[in-house]
Amino acid sequence: MTGTVWIFVLLAIVVLISLVCCIAIATVSDFYVRLHYLAPVTTVAFIPLLIAVIIHEGAGQAAIKTILVFGALLLINAVLTHATARAARVRQLGHWSVDPQENIEGAAPRG
Amino acid sequence: MNPWLLASIGLAICLIPCGVAVFRGSPIERLLGLEMAGVIVSMFFITFSEALGNPNFYDLALASGLMAFGGGLVFARFLERWL
Repeated sequence: MTGTVWIFVLLAIVVLISLVCCIAIATVSDFYVRLHYLAPVTTVAFIPLLIAVIIHEGAGQAAIKTILVFGALLLINAVLTHATARAARVRQLGHWSVDPQENIEGAAPRG
Repeated sequence: MNPWLLASIGLAICLIPCGVAVFRGSPIERLLGLEMAGVIVSMFFITFSEALGNPNFYDLALASGLMAFGGGLVFARFLERWL
């Protein structure tokens, strides 16, 4: 298969994964389930994009910058997802540590 | 047709459900749509720079990714108690 066909296939994977995750963000009912759909876009969808750039441009400036963006988004997204989950929990319960009614196994009680 | 241009159009279409998520639900649920849009825009800049053959857009991808982080974090922080 020539390079262009590979690029078509890889970019189709990128767009499909992104589209599924974006539709899930808009349609899934539970908030904490929705949070999980932020992760595949920056991990599973970004790798084919990186490979497509390397196929298209070779190992040069474009590939290095794409790796930089990939690394940045990887870190950023993890921190942002945690901060959002924490904000949602604090809004819901007034604090974010364990709540006695939730009886989570092995969790130290609050206070 | 340039595959990169097609991918850019596809990623731009992904912003529609993100827009729906931003305009619906409680403030914390809207923040989720904003965060997803930030990631999609970063990817859009990469495919768009390949489509145009202009490597400068890569810096935009990195800059928009970093700024989306700052914005999302500030929203998350204030949404805990003050907004």
